[in-house]
Amino acid sequence: MKREIKDKLLEGITYIASALSVLVLGAILFYLLTNGLHLIDWHLLSSNYYSSTANASVINDYEYVPMSDYSGEGIYSAKWGIAVEDITTSHNEDEISVVYVDPNSPFNHMESTVAGEEGKASSLSEGSLIKNIYYINENGETKFLSRVQMGDAAKLIGILDDQATGIVSCNFQSLGGGIRGSIITTLYLIAVSLLISLPIGIASAVYLHEYAAKSRINALIRQGIDTLTGVPSIVYGLMGVTVLFPITQLVGATSTSILLGGLTLAIILLPTIISSTEEALIVVPQSLRDGSLSLGATKSQTIFKVVLPCAINGILTGVLLGIGRVIGESAALVYTTSTVINDYPNLLSQGTSLSLMIWTIMSGEQPNFELASAISLIILAIVFVINIIVKIIGKRLARSFV
Amino acid sequence: MLVNKKRVKRNKSLDKFFHGFFMAMALLSASFIVIIVLFVFAKGISPFLPGYEYGQVNIISFLTGSLYRQDQGIYGIGFIVINTLVCSFLALLLSFPISVLTALFIAKIAPKKLGAIMQSVVELLASVPSVVYGVFAAGVIAALIKDLASSLGITTFGGSSMLAVIILLAIMIFPTLTSMATTAIKAVDKDLEQASLALGATRTQTNFKIVLAAAKSGIFAGAILGLGRAFGEATAVAMVAGNKLFGPTFDLFDITRTLTSTMLAGLKETSGLDYDIRFSVGLVLIAVIFVSNWVLNYVKKKVGNN
Amino acid sequence: MEEICFDVKNVNLFYGEKQALKNINMQLLKHKVTAFIGPSGCGKSTFIRCLNRMNDLIEGCKVEGEIFKDGQDIYSAKQDIVDLRTHVGMVFQKPNPFPMSIYDNIAYGPRCQGLKDKKKLDEIVITSLKQVALYDEVADRLHESAMGLSGGQQQRLCIARCIAMSPEVILMDEPTSALDPISTAKIEDLVLELKKEYTIIIVTHNMQQAARISDYTAFFLMGEVIEMDITDKIFASPGDKRTENYITGRFG
Repeated sequence: MKREIKDKLLEGITYIASALSVLVLGAILFYLLTNGLHLIDWHLLSSNYYSSTANASVINDYEYVPMSDYSGEGIYSAKWGIAVEDITTSHNEDEISVVYVDPNSPFNHMESTVAGEEGKASSLSEGSLIKNIYYINENGETKFLSRVQMGDAAKLIGILDDQATGIVSCNFQSLGGGIRGSIITTLYLIAVSLLISLPIGIASAVYLHEYAAKSRINALIRQGIDTLTGVPSIVYGLMGVTVLFPITQLVGATSTSILLGGLTLAIILLPTIISSTEEALIVVPQSLRDGSLSLGATKSQTIFKVVLPCAINGILTGVLLGIGRVIGESAALVYTTSTVINDYPNLLSQGTSLSLMIWTIMSGEQPNFELASAISLIILAIVFVINIIVKIIGKRLARSFV
Repeated sequence: MLVNKKRVKRNKSLDKFFHGFFMAMALLSASFIVIIVLFVFAKGISPFLPGYEYGQVNIISFLTGSLYRQDQGIYGIGFIVINTLVCSFLALLLSFPISVLTALFIAKIAPKKLGAIMQSVVELLASVPSVVYGVFAAGVIAALIKDLASSLGITTFGGSSMLAVIILLAIMIFPTLTSMATTAIKAVDKDLEQASLALGATRTQTNFKIVLAAAKSGIFAGAILGLGRAFGEATAVAMVAGNKLFGPTFDLFDITRTLTSTMLAGLKETSGLDYDIRFSVGLVLIAVIFVSNWVLNYVKKKVGNN
Repeated sequence: MEEICFDVKNVNLFYGEKQALKNINMQLLKHKVTAFIGPSGCGKSTFIRCLNRMNDLIEGCKVEGEIFKDGQDIYSAKQDIVDLRTHVGMVFQKPNPFPMSIYDNIAYGPRCQGLKDKKKLDEIVITSLKQVALYDEVADRLHESAMGLSGGQQQRLCIARCIAMSPEVILMDEPTSALDPISTAKIEDLVLELKKEYTIIIVTHNMQQAARISDYTAFFLMGEVIEMDITDKIFASPGDKRTENYITGRFG
């Protein structure tokens, strides 16, 4: 049967086409996982992007307690409870890096001597680079051990084990490469954009669905909002710096800022918020509105007390989709929040969201694929979870008023 | 009677206030599109006007030029427009058949469970942010192209190339095309299918001949939407475009430059004309999207009428 | 001497081009139950919705003529619609409790009028529920969702919600059409009980129901009132052939 073969062939092609998209999704996940997964840990989430130098001295009332056993990587000093190894940094410098610090180690009981934060608890941690150490020798003299004198990891441990009877202070460099600042920036952006976009969006949806009669002006309003969906996000960025920048200046912004990025995102989110709210309003049965009005409630009372509470799922969907959009947005922010990674962001400072941070580290001279993959994984995890929740809400919404 | 006259009056004025408030918000939402176009226009047109503070730019040479040297102050974007059009259309050409077939698979051919899984795959692809696609393009697509090119004896700029842009865009517009096509195919009248089946056509024949034909308007709408997205895609494209200084580029393995990658290139340390000219490029981008939308919708109407 | 509640004069109603009510004239009496009967699409539901101006919500709906209540035309520009609805309550075809607690459902109307006093609200809720004989059934779950009640209970809740506003008139638009016979009987008993205090106007599909509970009956056909009289008279000796045909079940 020729026809049967032809049919099978055509069906086969659709299977192949579908397999292609699965392949792409799989390839993306595989690439990101192999390149980025090993970077994802508490350090990545909690530390600064820029490495910083720290000075700390062992606290006065530290009492030496014998260290526990350690059999992991690196060269371990059983006496001082610290394991180190030799590494080469991305700037091609040989450094001694900490791989383990025992809880009882003096290096774990230090306080900062950096100007401005004296007395703040400090400690060597995994990834710290040791720069110099002051220790007490057998004669009770305080000795200085510079980075050059240390040589390599083995030599450093040798000196500490053989000559030191006490540790005084230590100069070290924190590892950096963390994304804490970008996480905070992202949260700021989510807060600002939703705060602005939700009331405007919900009110617009209410007008379009509850008030607007069929008229030319209302058709035009709808057209205007629909057209926003098709505007590329980079163009929103251009709009942000021209139209919204003066608004942020009113509250004291002197450059592009996170606030400006948030305001720009608020406008980007409007169509999403409006359409998901409206979809939920459509599902609210007319009989509930009639019931409320027949009890002498005004139209706005009906909307606030009956209609909007019934539409809460749709509004929630809008919020979630909005969060997803903010997390994923990059092009509009390049113009409005700048591409400078900021470890200590505030509303009026510049900074990068997680996505924008990826753009920054990928568009530099030396693209950092591993960090970019790690951040991508974090973003994808959030976005996928949001997707699943939205789907569940959608199913509930479809059943809610049957 | 429970009616409190004072309260009724207050309720009434509150009601009026909220009516006005809702309407004002809707008007505000709708006005943003006008604000965007107006302000980008005003700022984008300024370098071509006499008396522009950093030296007037000739609009003709801007629009038709084939050299873009920020360092020398030469801004010609004619070739960039061509590059953008070529890359986007080729991406659409690549993505269109795959997405239509996938949509047909999801809506008609796949067993129910498999169809639902595929739908989720498409939704997940749709939710991947563009920078993540960019990382994937720079890390995987570009690397593959580099290997492919060197096996053909061609050297590339680390894999950044027109081909990489096209494949990237094809992947990025795939979810839009597929979900629009799936919706269109699912909306096809069941009677139409049954009529075809009753005439002795097989399911597959019906799917390919009748269903696709009936859904073509929706599928085409998806293509228009996808193309718009391809034109406007910025960060991901900029990661693999390479930003060539002249053109147009027609060699798949050569680097290229699109409107959006131009707008992003070297933004960090720039000011004056080089900053303002990005608004002009943005204005051209809006024009390209608007004109292509208009033309394609015209074509769609023509095709739909036949 | 009977008091007049609504005096309807020459009412015509249009949905766009289509005329749905033709030249309606009638007087509706206070503290009586008036039933509107007639086949589907005859205009009886449309007309009852004129009495509290619920038709205003429908786009393209236009009403001509006058309906006087207490000497004022409710379609005149002076009439406040919201105010009208606090005096003329309505119970709908399908029970439509709000998705909130039983208590909040009943307190909804008074709260919209600005009543915040917890004691007064409690009192209103309890008396309203007692009046519809629902209190004993729900006393221990006043703060649970009203959506958990049975259909009949929901409809009685809607009636309680309506009388919580102490209206003068209660409009009932086929209030039992979605209910089982037992629930229907309870609602009918309730109507007879309520007419002591309220003017009740009820649209019904069920002629036996009209005969059982109403004092006056109006027969609607194709947007016109064919006949209106004391219920017993309408059912015993209708004046119009069409009424007789309908009542004896020849159509409808």
